[in-house]
Amino acid sequence: MEIKSTDRDDFRRVYDANYGLLVQVVMHIVYNLEIAEDLTQEAFERFYVKNMTFPSEDDARYWLLHVAKNLALNHIRRNKREIEMVEKVKRMPSVAIDSRDGAKEAIEAENREEVRKAIAALPENLRLVIQLKEFSGLDYKSISKVLGISETNVKVRVFRARKKLEEALSMEERDVY
Amino acid sequence: MCIDAQMLSAYLDGELKEPYRTQVEEHLEYCSACRHHLEDMKALDERISGAAYPQEELTRKKDQIFQLLDKKYFQEGKKVSFIRRRLEVSVPAFMTAAAAVVFIFIGGFMFFGTSAEQTGDILPSFAVQADGSNVRYVANEASLDSFTLEEILHYLDSKGYNVDISIKGLQPLEQAISEAE
Repeated sequence: MEIKSTDRDDFRRVYDANYGLLVQVVMHIVYNLEIAEDLTQEAFERFYVKNMTFPSEDDARYWLLHVAKNLALNHIRRNKREIEMVEKVKRMPSVAIDSRDGAKEAIEAENREEVRKAIAALPENLRLVIQLKEFSGLDYKSISKVLGISETNVKVRVFRARKKLEEALSMEERDVY
Repeated sequence: MCIDAQMLSAYLDGELKEPYRTQVEEHLEYCSACRHHLEDMKALDERISGAAYPQEELTRKKDQIFQLLDKKYFQEGKKVSFIRRRLEVSVPAFMTAAAAVVFIFIGGFMFFGTSAEQTGDILPSFAVQADGSNVRYVANEASLDSFTLEEILHYLDSKGYNVDISIKGLQPLEQAISEAE
């Protein structure tokens, strides 16, 4: 079904279907919920302003993800925070976002933090691929469209990212015990 | 020979195409090492995807932002611009029409003079009262031309008027300075 970005019903549908996804993806790049919300809003504004027609909802999603991802990366680059990203995640209030977790879930929350840290430490090309794979539930084909790389490339990068994460996370465990 | 780890990773994601898919499945049947490897990978995968931020937290401003965008682009955006466009067209059009009426009215006097007869053509009700018999010319003997500027100013001053005079193209010094700032 064709999507026109300035049509109110289409806009609403695309917004509802993708808002959470975009915030999630952007959040894993900027690690700040307010900034993630701002950038997501910006992505949707561009979506409207560009006044485009997409052959399907999926194509609109790829476009939005692509734009949101670039906005987030630009934000990071502009603010030169990439270097201290790992520290940022460390400092990042697990309190703020995981505060709803009870004591029972404390371990899970800790695990989340560790994984986020490990992902933040990945090189950018691997990081984006694994984030889109794990947090957006996109298949290889969709990821290849969002990032503009081949499906084979996606496959390779997903694998490499997993390998690195496995190393990083098992290393941490050894550190702990 | 065991399965390449990269292939296993793709298999885990359900992205492995036939015939490799079937081959991997057959291999997994009897190879416990690969089964373990796959299990480990799956566990890691779950651990990673568990690090996603909770949706309800992420979407706390979803409706708020939508309303903002809706207002900006779909409500105000369209309606206001519609009204604005109407105003932009209608005000000058109205002014032009008014100016045209005034121009024709004054033009009538300018080109055809103001004799009672012709005034009667333009303003019938006025012409009845304003013919030669009841209109007295008051400025025949002394017009403004017969006084100097000083005399006029002095007269106005004596009547209590405060008169400012400026020369075309020249600005008072203080004003020019404040504008430059």
